Amino acid sequence: MTKKKKVVIDTGDAGKGTSEIAENANTQEMEERALSVFASERNEDITALVLCLITTFIVLLFTKWVV
Amino acid sequence: MSRTKENIPVFIMGGLLIVYGIIVQTGVLLPLLTYLHVHKSMDLMVTMSFVIGVIALVGAVINSSKEPGNSVFDRFVLQPMGGIVLLLIMAMAIRWYLEPLVIIMSKSLHATLGFDVYKVLNLNYVVLGLLAGVLLTNTYGIPKFAAAGVKCARFVLKMGVIMLGARYSFAELAKLGVYSIWLIGFFVLGTVFLVLWLGNIFKQPKTMTGVLSAGMGVCGVSATVAVAPVVKAKSSEMAYTIGTILSFGIICMFIFPTIGKLVGMNAVQFGAWAGTGILNSAQVAAAALAFNAVDIKTLKVAEIFNITRVLFLPVIVLVLATWFGKESGQKLSFKTVVIDKFPIFILGFLLLFILSSAGLFSPPEHYKGKYIDVSYNKRTEVTPEEWEVLNKAMQAGAFKELNESQMMAVTDLIHQRQIAGNFDERNDKTKFDQVGRARMSELEGVLAAVKAKQVRLSKEVGSAIKHAISQVHKKSKTVVTLTDCMIWFFAFGLIGLGMQITKKAIFQAGGWPLVIGVISGVAKATLSFFIVLWLVKDVVLK
Repeated sequence: MTKKKKVVIDTGDAGKGTSEIAENANTQEMEERALSVFASERNEDITALVLCLITTFIVLLFTKWVV
Repeated sequence: MSRTKENIPVFIMGGLLIVYGIIVQTGVLLPLLTYLHVHKSMDLMVTMSFVIGVIALVGAVINSSKEPGNSVFDRFVLQPMGGIVLLLIMAMAIRWYLEPLVIIMSKSLHATLGFDVYKVLNLNYVVLGLLAGVLLTNTYGIPKFAAAGVKCARFVLKMGVIMLGARYSFAELAKLGVYSIWLIGFFVLGTVFLVLWLGNIFKQPKTMTGVLSAGMGVCGVSATVAVAPVVKAKSSEMAYTIGTILSFGIICMFIFPTIGKLVGMNAVQFGAWAGTGILNSAQVAAAALAFNAVDIKTLKVAEIFNITRVLFLPVIVLVLATWFGKESGQKLSFKTVVIDKFPIFILGFLLLFILSSAGLFSPPEHYKGKYIDVSYNKRTEVTPEEWEVLNKAMQAGAFKELNESQMMAVTDLIHQRQIAGNFDERNDKTKFDQVGRARMSELEGVLAAVKAKQVRLSKEVGSAIKHAISQVHKKSKTVVTLTDCMIWFFAFGLIGLGMQITKKAIFQAGGWPLVIGVISGVAKATLSFFIVLWLVKDVVLK
């Protein structure tokens, strides 16, 4: 069995230093994900959208509908 | 025990926030907060301090008592807690103390320097937040307890872009007319392609060129944040783009008004040029006011041209998603670009824009939550004292320098005690509204003439007219609150973004992005100058 080649990427302090990943992995994608708490861009976007809609609803409730 | 030790900073931050909340609540800080002009935010300070403080303490207790897990609650709440609280404290310090302090200091230096440093260097929460983040990360470094929380920055920035949609409405865009929208679209897309071409010539990374093209084409921070995930830009590249745009804008703020005056541009022409050529919204407003502080039309045209650029954001995201996909060697179909590559948070921006245009947050014709309401209402009357001043001035013939239509507007203001349409025509809402707005516009003209010393009126009369005008200028509480949320999201996100930028990353970017930015910015400003002079005459707004 051949051992898979690894590469080291610099993810900065926020990414907790460096990570070792397989050479054929999408390093750019990995580097970006290391700087986010979300596993994918889509999850991040959907969560942002849902939280914004909740915020908007609460703001509407207290500035327009209840008062 | 060791886990408790790890959470000590979070315990301290939580405790400090609660103590701060109590101190603000007692009113001890009132003189200081009044001096800083942030006393109106005292209630918010107390609420935020208590809520965040309690959440931090509870989080720290849970983190101290249990092993770190891999559940959703652990990954998204407990682990990033320390960093989130740190970023929030920094955002609070910047918004309530640092930013006001910078403004006060700049104003005190105005007499010596002749200009406001904070306006020229654009030292608002955006720049101060980024700088604070960069400074912390390159001196002390990111504290260990905050590392996971800093990773929330981009996510929160996206929330800021979504909220941006609530500030604008289609009615404002429609005022420009198709002709002006073509003009703006041509410059936005033209700049994007110019930057992409220059990036190719100067052999810059595609990630950097992609994000810079959006920043230079559309407008500063929001476009940079919106496009970054599409072109996979790094935090340092985003920061570099924001820096380039703001630096270029500073030069424009000085040069644009001078050139505009030299060539004798009229108010509308300059507004259109500044709104097209200058990138940052605050700098557009500053240049418009520097050109003409009397005629409000300059600022209004400049701002409308500027916001229309923001509304091109989804189009630019699509264009850059296609470009980046092709440059990366992917075969992209229409479906891949529109459905798979199109960021969902930009759809959120569009959704809020649609809701805003539909009038959910404010009457549909609002602009950043501000709208004009000339309906007949007892509450919009001038005070009895002001009415007395106006009436006496009329009887004494103080308004004889006004033209006929201005005189009629003042006469009606005295007659109805407020700016409104004709009471008898109140059932025909369109006509009533038109007449009311026309009267308001005439009264604004009176104030402008007084400011320009073409007409002489007493201070009391001027302030009575000013009050009558301000009475019909309403502000939507909903849009104001949503805008506040947006500002907090951006402040939080930009501090976190700054924390991800190391010295190494800044030096790696080098000076080429700045060169590309300046070339494309100058090209856009020059071309738009000639086109505006050639095509835009006087009336742009419908």
